[in-house]
Amino acid sequence: MSFSERTTKDAWNHTKQKMGEYQTELLERLNAIEMDAHWFRRAFHTFAASFLFYYLLPDQSWIQIVKIAIPIAVVAFMVLIEYHRLQGSIDHQRFFGLRAYEKRRPASYLYFGIALLFLLLLFPQQIAIPCILCASFTDPLIGESRYYLRKKKAYLIGFLMSMIFFALTWYQADWWIIIMISFVGAAGAVVGEATKLRFIDDDFLIQMLPALLILVLWQGWLLLRVDIIPPPLILPLS
Amino acid sequence: MKNNETRKETIQKLLLRLELWFAPLLILIPLVVSLFFIGDWYSRGFSTGSSVHDGELLLGMLLLFGNLAVDIPFLRSIRIIKKREY
Repeated sequence: MSFSERTTKDAWNHTKQKMGEYQTELLERLNAIEMDAHWFRRAFHTFAASFLFYYLLPDQSWIQIVKIAIPIAVVAFMVLIEYHRLQGSIDHQRFFGLRAYEKRRPASYLYFGIALLFLLLLFPQQIAIPCILCASFTDPLIGESRYYLRKKKAYLIGFLMSMIFFALTWYQADWWIIIMISFVGAAGAVVGEATKLRFIDDDFLIQMLPALLILVLWQGWLLLRVDIIPPPLILPLS
Repeated sequence: MKNNETRKETIQKLLLRLELWFAPLLILIPLVVSLFFIGDWYSRGFSTGSSVHDGELLLGMLLLFGNLAVDIPFLRSIRIIKKREY
């Protein structure tokens, strides 16, 4: 073997070894990253508002099928994962940020997903959007306010925030409708958040309670031949 | 040989840490969606003089600032925990 061949081979081996060491070090560093579960949960909530993108999807017939099938498939997958976790075939430790009480019952992300599915598929967007915003932003805001203020003040802040969400998303309606809807919607959201039931999570109630209240109001006014619902906020792409 | 085994072990550990894979998505997706809403408002609404898309601007801004308000403390918390370790 010539001198130049040996040096090339040595250099190649040396580079390979260095690359291997670098890769291992990088992986170890990634592994060492620790997250605060508290802020991770908050980020998960605000992330959920991205699902409003759903309303931008075009109304073509095949996309309509996808718009129904994909959310159902995602929630069915979540149900399957939770089923295996509760059965013990998936280790509880693999789920980052779960609370202690979620060990023996479905985790809140599943409740959040089911409520989101109902809102997207069964409710008009004028009702669904503010309810999703309440779950995404009011819930973490109340949670965060509770650290610094009294419980009552935290709920008051949550109530005002929810009122703003309902008022903003119904801004095209008449003023008396805006006042009525923002009051009823915000009350539903805060009661949903404050209600602690054993098997129904607040992430479900904060979305479903205001949605049902407004649905009843809307249908009630329809019986009186008054349509209170404003035009849609998001128009699908063509 | 031993080096390869250590690397495999570290990769396996990393694969189990779902939160590490979720974190970039939690930060990036809302930002992309909010910018998309704002961009759509600009192209279909503002540039054509139509006000029917104003709701998208509203939601885009809400998503952008709402998420930034949480993402910043979230990233800061990772830095603080890292600092505490060293």
